[in-house]
Amino acid sequence: MKKSLKKYERLSAYIDGELFEDEKKQLEEELKKSKELRKKLTELKKIKQLTIQSVNTIEENPYFETRLAANIRLKKPFFRGTRKWFPVIGVAVITTILMIVLKLNPGIMNNLLNSQKSNIKAFYKQNLKPLLYAADLSNEDIFNFAFFHRLPLDERKNQFLQLGSDPNGHRYFEIKTAAMQPANNNLNKFVKRLKLNKKQQLQVDSILTSYAGDLQNQILVNNKNTIAINPNLWNYNKALTADLLTFAVKSNKKQFDKAVPSGFSKYNKTVAQLVHEVKASKSNQYIFFTPDTIFSDSFNFDMKKFKHKIEKMKKELKSNVGESAKRLNAFKISFNFDTGLVKLKRDSSWDKHFKVYFDTNSCTVHLGDIPIPNIRLPHFDSFLKKLDETANKFKVFSFDIPPDFRKGGSKSYSFKYHYNNPTKSYDFNFKTFRFGPSGKSNNYKPDSLFTQQFKRFKNNPDSLASIFKRFFNGSTMIFQGKQFQKQMLQLQKEMDKFRKEIQNMKKEFKIKIPPKKKSNTIII
Amino acid sequence: MNKNYKENKEDLYQAQVLNLDDDFSLIKRFIEGDESAFSILMIRHKEKVRSIVFITVNNHDVVDDISQEVFLIVYKNLNKFRFESQFTTWLYRITVNKCKDYLRKMKIRSIFSPINEWEHEFGYTPNQENIDIKEIVQNAISKLPEKLRIPLLLKDIEGLSYQEIAESIQCEIGTVKSRIFRAREGLKNILKPYEQELM
Repeated sequence: MKKSLKKYERLSAYIDGELFEDEKKQLEEELKKSKELRKKLTELKKIKQLTIQSVNTIEENPYFETRLAANIRLKKPFFRGTRKWFPVIGVAVITTILMIVLKLNPGIMNNLLNSQKSNIKAFYKQNLKPLLYAADLSNEDIFNFAFFHRLPLDERKNQFLQLGSDPNGHRYFEIKTAAMQPANNNLNKFVKRLKLNKKQQLQVDSILTSYAGDLQNQILVNNKNTIAINPNLWNYNKALTADLLTFAVKSNKKQFDKAVPSGFSKYNKTVAQLVHEVKASKSNQYIFFTPDTIFSDSFNFDMKKFKHKIEKMKKELKSNVGESAKRLNAFKISFNFDTGLVKLKRDSSWDKHFKVYFDTNSCTVHLGDIPIPNIRLPHFDSFLKKLDETANKFKVFSFDIPPDFRKGGSKSYSFKYHYNNPTKSYDFNFKTFRFGPSGKSNNYKPDSLFTQQFKRFKNNPDSLASIFKRFFNGSTMIFQGKQFQKQMLQLQKEMDKFRKEIQNMKKEFKIKIPPKKKSNTIII
Repeated sequence: MNKNYKENKEDLYQAQVLNLDDDFSLIKRFIEGDESAFSILMIRHKEKVRSIVFITVNNHDVVDDISQEVFLIVYKNLNKFRFESQFTTWLYRITVNKCKDYLRKMKIRSIFSPINEWEHEFGYTPNQENIDIKEIVQNAISKLPEKLRIPLLLKDIEGLSYQEIAESIQCEIGTVKSRIFRAREGLKNILKPYEQELM
C-alpha cells in the first residue's frame, strides 16, 4: 500500500515536472507497462486541471501603491520596534514615579494606612457607654471582683469578665461563660466572720461604692457591638483588694484568716499609697473588641455628659413610658466570639501590648505592659548587706512565728539556724501546719489556664477539651448515664466474685504448703 | 526560426539573470537610502503577493489588507536582507506566514462567534440544476486542511517550484511532494459524488 502511494506520489511530481531525468525515464517505462498507473496518471492530471481552472484571478487594485505609501508614512521607522517595548517602558515609568513619590514623602504609605486605621477606630469609638452602671453594680459584685477577680457582664448568658495572672506572672483577662454560678453572699460572710459592727459595715460599703464609680468607666460598650476594656481595671482590682484587706486587718486581726478567702495575705501600709496612685493615674488606654478587629487606643469617656444624658432619658421615661422602654430594650449587647477564629488567630497578636487567644469557651487577652503606678521600693542590696552583717554576729539565729497567728494559739512552730555548726545547722520544729483557713491550695487558678496547660496552649488550645482529657486520663470518651451504671454494676459483681475466689485460693494455699523452717543466719 | 528561438532563449536567460540581479540591486539601492527602489520592487511583486493571499485565504475582502501588511514588513526589514536566497523566496515566506496568521485568527474568532443562519439558508446546495463546476472545485479545495491546500495552490495556481514552496512554507522538498499528492487525493475523494459531471 505504502509502496503504491510512493509510486503515485512520483506520478504527482511527474505531472508537476519535478522529477529528475533518470526518475522520469524510469517512470515513463513503468507507465508503458502498467494500465493501473496510466489510469492514475489521467486521474491526477484531471484533478490538476480542475484545480487550475477553479481559481478566479484577482483584479488589480490601482490604489494599492498609494495606500501602501500612506501606510509607510504612518509607520515611520522612528517607531520601528518600539511598540514591543511599551509594557516595559510603562513599568519603568510607574516605578520611577513611585520612587520619586516615596523619596519625597517616605511616610505616605504609613499615613494612608494610619488614616484608614483611625477611621475604623473612630467608627467603633462612637456612642460608647459604660456597660456596668454604678447603680447596677451591687456591693456583692464589687466584693467578688476584689477577691475572685470577676465582673458580671451578661447575667442571662452567665458571662463574666475574669482577671488573673498565669504562673509566669503575665496578666490577662478573659471573657467567658461561667461553668457554675459563683457562690453568693460572699460579702455577707465576710462581714459576719469579721464580726463587724454597724459603723464598720458602713465603712465596707463606702469602700465598695467608692470603687463602683471608677469601675463603670473601665468597661464601655456601644451599639456597634464594641467592647472597650481599660487594662487599668487590673490595677483597680489590686487597689480594691488591698483596701479591703487592710480594712479587714484593722477591724479584726484575729478573724482575718477566717474572713478573707484563701490566698490573700495581709497588706502593709504601702497599700494606702498604692490605692492613691491607682486612683490618681487615670489611664486612657482602652482595648477595643470589635466585630472587625481588636485594637488598643486612647479614649476619653466624658462622665458628666453621660450623666446628663441619663438624666434626660429618665425624664423622657417618666413622660413617655412605652416608647423609651422599647428603646432601652433595643440596646442589648451580646458577647459572641466566633470559634472559626480559633485556628486563624490563635497565635496572632494584634498589637504589641496584648495577645488574644480564642477557644470554644473563652476569649483570653494577654497584657504585656500595663502602666502600673510606681511604688518606690527600698534598695534591697543595702538590706542584704545589713542582714549578712547581723547574721555574722549571731551564733544561733532563730525565727518564731507568733502562736496567735493561727486559731487556738497553743501550738507553735519554730525555725532555728545554728551558725558555725555544720552537723546541726537547721532545726525546723513544728507540730501542726495548716495551709489556710479552708485548707485549700494557696494558688488561685482559673480553669482554662490550669498550670502547664497554658504553656501547651498552642498545641491544645481548647479548655473544655482539656478538662475532658483530665477526667478521662487523656482519652476522650462519651458515655451515657444508664449504660455506664449498668457497666459499673457488672464490674462490681465481677469484683466480688474475684474477691471470693482469691480468698478461697488463699485458704487452699495455706493448707497445702507447710510453714517454712527458720533458716540459720550466717555471720561473717 | 532556429536562430530566432536561440535569440529568444538568450533573451529569456538574460532577462532572468537581469531579474535576479534587479531585485538585489533594487534592495541595495533601498538600503543605501533610495526609497523609490522600494516602490519599483513592490510594483513588480505586488500582484503575485495579492494572488497568493487570495488563493490561500479565499476571501476577496482581506486580500489588500494582508498584502499591505506583507509589504510593510518587507519595508521594515529589507535592510536586514542577507542576499543568501532569492528575494521572492523571502517575500513568499512572509506572505504565507501572514496568511496563516490571518487564518488562525479567523479560526479562533469562529469559535466565539455564533453560527450565521443566513449562510445556512443561502449556502451551496448540490441539487441545483445549473451546477457550476468551478464553484464545486473551489468548495472542495476550501475543505482541504491548510497544510495541504497552501502547497497545492502555490504549485498549481502560482506555478512555484517545489523548492520555492519548500522555502516559503519552511519544510523539506519531500514533504511538499507528499503534501501536494495528498491534497490531490483528498480533492478526488471530496469530488467523488460529482464524478460524472466532472470527468
